Amino acid sequence: MRAFIGFVALSLIAVGLALALYHIPFGQDRMDVARDYLARSVRDTGAPNVVTGIVVNYRALDTLGEVTVLFSASLGVGMLMTWRSPGGGRPLPGASLIVRRGAGFLFPFILLFGGYIFVHGHLTPGGGFQGGAVIASAFLLLYLGIPGYLLARRPLAAIESLTGITFVAIGIIGLAVGGYFLNNFLPKGSVFSLFSAGVIPILYMVIGLKVGAELAGVVANMIGGGEE
Amino acid sequence: MNAGDPMVYAGAVGLILIGLFTVITRRNLIKIIIGLTLLDGGVNLLLVAVGYIQGRTAPIITPAHPDTARMVDPIPQALVLTAIVIGLGVTALGLGLAIRVYGHYNTLDTRKIRGLKW
Amino acid sequence: MVAALLVALPFLGAFLIPLVGMGSKRIAYSIPAIVLLADLGIALSLLPQALRAPIVVSISGWAPPLSINLYVGPLGLGLAILISLLGFLVAVYGMGYIHAEPKEKYHMLVLTLITGAIGMVLTGDIFNLFVFFEILSLSSYALTGYNRDRTGTEAAVKYLIQGSIGSAFILIGIALLYGALGTLNMADLAARITAGDPMTMFLALSFLLVGFGIEAAISPLNAWLPDAHSSAPSSVSAILSGIAIETGAYAVARIVYTVFPGQGIMFVLAIIGIVTLLMGEMAAFHQHDDVKRMLAYSSIGQMGLIVFAFGMASQAGAFAALFQLVSHTLAKGLLFLAVGYMIYRVGSRRISAFAGLGRRMPMTGTMVAIAVLSLIGVPPFTGFMSKLAVVRAGLMQHSAVYTGMVVLVLVATMIEVGYLLRFLQVLFFAVPETDEVAELPLSAALPIAILAALIIAIGIYPQMITGLLHQAAAGLVERAAYIKSVLGAL
Repeated sequence: MRAFIGFVALSLIAVGLALALYHIPFGQDRMDVARDYLARSVRDTGAPNVVTGIVVNYRALDTLGEVTVLFSASLGVGMLMTWRSPGGGRPLPGASLIVRRGAGFLFPFILLFGGYIFVHGHLTPGGGFQGGAVIASAFLLLYLGIPGYLLARRPLAAIESLTGITFVAIGIIGLAVGGYFLNNFLPKGSVFSLFSAGVIPILYMVIGLKVGAELAGVVANMIGGGEE
Repeated sequence: MNAGDPMVYAGAVGLILIGLFTVITRRNLIKIIIGLTLLDGGVNLLLVAVGYIQGRTAPIITPAHPDTARMVDPIPQALVLTAIVIGLGVTALGLGLAIRVYGHYNTLDTRKIRGLKW
Repeated sequence: MVAALLVALPFLGAFLIPLVGMGSKRIAYSIPAIVLLADLGIALSLLPQALRAPIVVSISGWAPPLSINLYVGPLGLGLAILISLLGFLVAVYGMGYIHAEPKEKYHMLVLTLITGAIGMVLTGDIFNLFVFFEILSLSSYALTGYNRDRTGTEAAVKYLIQGSIGSAFILIGIALLYGALGTLNMADLAARITAGDPMTMFLALSFLLVGFGIEAAISPLNAWLPDAHSSAPSSVSAILSGIAIETGAYAVARIVYTVFPGQGIMFVLAIIGIVTLLMGEMAAFHQHDDVKRMLAYSSIGQMGLIVFAFGMASQAGAFAALFQLVSHTLAKGLLFLAVGYMIYRVGSRRISAFAGLGRRMPMTGTMVAIAVLSLIGVPPFTGFMSKLAVVRAGLMQHSAVYTGMVVLVLVATMIEVGYLLRFLQVLFFAVPETDEVAELPLSAALPIAILAALIIAIGIYPQMITGLLHQAAAGLVERAAYIKSVLGAL
């Protein structure tokens, strides 16, 4: 019965999508608002990476929202994992010497790479989320490589909180200075240079740290064994 | 343009259907969550595919490539960036809940998790 | 300009809690209440201006199709007032009610949930609507499992799986809309919708409706609701029943009224609403055991009624739907909050355990009775006026089909009378099993009393809100004005 209903539903969805996509031919130029973004982004936002211009300037409210989604998810995981019985998780088997040494050796470089990605988010592919994910992976590596490694939660929570506050505070400064929430209030500088595009690099740094802290927190909570 | 085109759509729709099929038919919570991830992936691919324009490059202006008329639609890429993070949050929370459920029932089989009706 | 703070403040509050919590837990726990009270104040102060003309604010400063805009009209602002009011009351209630750790995370999640709800009703961009919807959903999944007991986590998993499928559907709908029309701003979409291929538009609409329909608990997409609403902590149930599903209904209404002009789908919506109403009320009637489950099924029924009224596709219908939405939020919010403490006092969710509790806790019992009578639609409470509006709007359609559906609404009301009076009978006239039971602490009594006072006040003097609701309904029906005020702004 369940399989039958599932089959009918899936067929309906397949036919529906096929019919709808038939009128949205693949690979054709249907840009409308997007054309404006491409033409104006550098002038308006100072970011040659147009996607960054959209994510952190034109549609910055989406980004604030998505940071909050991740914040909720990390809160939820933290909430679910508090007071888990200490013997619940299996101890991780000890890693080999190469992994342990390698993890310790690579850790700072991965952090550096993550930082590079979010600092250059307005110029090159990448940005806060990508950089944050890279940073979190560095902590995951420590967990895998060093048995018994524990990430302190308090600094993580402080970073999450501080970066979130900074994001909203930058938005409110924009409101006070420019009249619009999340408005850019810094000079855009010269295009293609690191110190340009107004608040975008600052926001991306904030986002990168926040995402890194949140993902690392999720990993830490799932592996368990931490204090709270 | 030619034969290869609709394949990207087909891939996206295929992923969506595989994801939904997994969610409907599998009984293991982890597999259901994997199905949700596939579903998300399919939708994201669909979104990116909708914004793709044949023969154009990434919407990043560089001194060597300043011509914006040769770039694809940037909006779907921005949307997918947001959607991926949201999907990640859902997956993380789902896995956290699955760990909890396992703690209560000692199984991930939805047929045996029967405190409530499914 | 101030309008942007409506959205910005709750974000700020949510991020502040952990930092403040490192200093003083007590202050941290009161942040949601403070922030939501501030939001309520801002919203009320903006009301006169919004009633004259909708306030359109751009976020990050570019003209609307480029930037996301907030649309602070009578509808959005009215709902924001309702949400921040109930959110504030639940936040106050939660300070005393929630005993299990991690309390700090509970308060943060409540605040993010309400942030999502407020953002949803104010935003003017369909993808942004999705993002706020996700904030709301994700926080609800987590809060449903807050007790971390067997049923709570299980209900949360169920909710998460079904909700995620809904989110994927919404995103597919958005992808199709964007692919066909090249924009995401709702006013811009509404202006261009006739240019799109009808088939594609219909399919995009279907995907969006299925997606938001899951959150709005429209039949048959509501399998998650009874479990989630009954297994969550009661303060969370109040938010889920009083805010979360209503914003789902708002999204459905905004999409079918503003973005897609189409009468055909409206009729389907009306029928689905009636089916949902009858199924919800019948399921509630069969619920002899669990109070919260009974209330959860009743929420499904009430959502059906709201969707039915929206489906009339008339201004009177939209007005009735919004009125019913307000009265349901007040009554169900009160019921879950009051019943939550009663469960806490007697230690059981079984209806039989409530025997005579109304006489042991006369204050709380009276409040519960007020909410129950309002839910049924007994004068002089709010529920009577709103149900009357639904019936009147249905008859104003001058069509035999709608008149028939109005009869079904009355049948559903009779079912409601059946199970709710049965509940009151147990509450007041059964022989008490328990000895002395303490009344509520102030942090719980105050929110409940405020809700009860509102139910009576609006019931006796409906003009208090009907002016706003009429304008809100007009704002929903008049698409051209919506388009003009957004695209003509700035």
